[in-house]
Amino acid sequence: MTIIEFLSDRLGQLVLQAVFAASAAAFLTGTGTGSGVVVILLIAWFLVLLCTQTVAFLRYHSRLRELENIMDGLDQKYLFTECMPEAADCYERRLLDLFRRAGRSMIGAVSDARAASQEYREYVESWVHEIKTPITAAGLICRGAGPEIRQKLSRELAQIEAHVERALFYARAESPEKDFIIHQVRLADIAAQAIERHRTLLIQSNIRVETDCLEQSVYTDEKWTAFILGQLLQNAARYRSEHPVVTLTARPLGQRIQLILRDNGIGIPAHELPRVFDRGFTGINGRIRGGSTGMGLYLCRRLASCLEIELQIRSETQDETKRGTEVILTFPATGNLSKT
Amino acid sequence: MQKIMIVEDDTAIREELALILKNEGYLPLPVTDFTDVPRQAEQSCPDLILLDIGLPGQDGFAICKELGRSVGAPVIFVTSRDSSLDEVQALSLGGDDYIAKPYSIPVLMARIKAVLRRKGKVSEPDILEVRGLRLDLIKGAIAADAGTTTLTRNELQILACLMERPGEIISRADLIETLWDHQIYIDDNTLSVNVTRLRGKLSELGLGDLIKTRRGMGYQLI
Repeated sequence: MTIIEFLSDRLGQLVLQAVFAASAAAFLTGTGTGSGVVVILLIAWFLVLLCTQTVAFLRYHSRLRELENIMDGLDQKYLFTECMPEAADCYERRLLDLFRRAGRSMIGAVSDARAASQEYREYVESWVHEIKTPITAAGLICRGAGPEIRQKLSRELAQIEAHVERALFYARAESPEKDFIIHQVRLADIAAQAIERHRTLLIQSNIRVETDCLEQSVYTDEKWTAFILGQLLQNAARYRSEHPVVTLTARPLGQRIQLILRDNGIGIPAHELPRVFDRGFTGINGRIRGGSTGMGLYLCRRLASCLEIELQIRSETQDETKRGTEVILTFPATGNLSKT
Repeated sequence: MQKIMIVEDDTAIREELALILKNEGYLPLPVTDFTDVPRQAEQSCPDLILLDIGLPGQDGFAICKELGRSVGAPVIFVTSRDSSLDEVQALSLGGDDYIAKPYSIPVLMARIKAVLRRKGKVSEPDILEVRGLRLDLIKGAIAADAGTTTLTRNELQILACLMERPGEIISRADLIETLWDHQIYIDDNTLSVNVTRLRGKLSELGLGDLIKTRRGMGYQLI
């Protein structure tokens, strides 16, 4: 609290005191008291006023400082009302009581919302697990159909699977700490898992996938990373050009390892690149082609940040020979992992 | 014939899986009563058990624990619960492999074969022979009366796929699927290029007409 703020709060009181002092001085002068005595009285009055106001200011100031320190020390600011000190007087007690009541209702609302979102997440997860059984059954049954029907049905089933998978990982990304286990994995294994999961889409898109130098190991969660790669592979298939080729390679960067996924697809315009990881962003390609949700890359970024993987994207749309998109995943060095 | 026990509570999956396993030359043993799976396994002595985790009553983890004590058969968990934690738990309880639903049949078959091979329950031939052509799968070489030559990984898998079913027409799509199973991710054009190269190598051995193209249908080994 500054002195100006303090004075402006007490302006009325101070003006009233000054008026009283002035009229008392006028009265004393009028009734024959010597002007020297009046001046002494005024000075005495002023000194007393100065002292009391200074003490009051210092008390307010230190009280506010104390409360602010408590607030600054709190991780969850809405818990402030639970940590407030004893009230100094009746007025403050009343005020603090009001705060406390407001705070309690806030804490209740927050924990209700938390519980609701937790329940929702659990429901989504169990739903996803349940839906996988009929998808598996449909996949097995459709093997009995003719080749054309089988091809069409398996494509649709693969799409359902991809949507379900995204829903699952969206729910998982809400409270990531529960679900992933960091351990040493070969990049080749992650790549094989991701490619296998999307093989129907990739084969039907007539894509050639080249893998190179993937013998190195990184510390990460295999399933989460495979999901991220899967999203990138789906994008490569979705925005492919003629004779699509996807290459997966790895290279060391100091202590870290980079996994590079490159396609020769239609590319992303330069002005859209900074926004591709935003939630719901579809861009011109997505709008022209349709069926784009704008969730894939958003989820990639969220999951990657949980795993401390750095994601970079580069794209070329103009130059025929270099056209395509390149996504680089930089895995953390073993020593830099904050969670294991 | 190798016996594979299917412990799966979804009827559609159980029946289809039994059919597919039968077509692949296994003897499927579908379980319909989930009250005492370990005892049933003891009686029928399967060579491998496909075990779902989410079962009525006792779950797959508990069953696997009991199986470990009494039955020596390897266990592959087949489940829709696929977090890393589930996988770690499954494998630490003595499961031999873990496959997440929805799986593709080629993958399931490959895993079944791999587990059986690891457990020494199956011995696959290392050399395939058709019409005087011998394919050594380990060395990646072909030999005929006229001499020997080595193959690339892609050529080897294409030829192996054709030689496993001599006389049958194998569609390009099936060939591509088989190659993808072996982590060779090629497209249609690359397949054509590889087949042409393979024919070139075969003709050096005097077998240039071995692989026949059936227009619109695929390839045939004659």
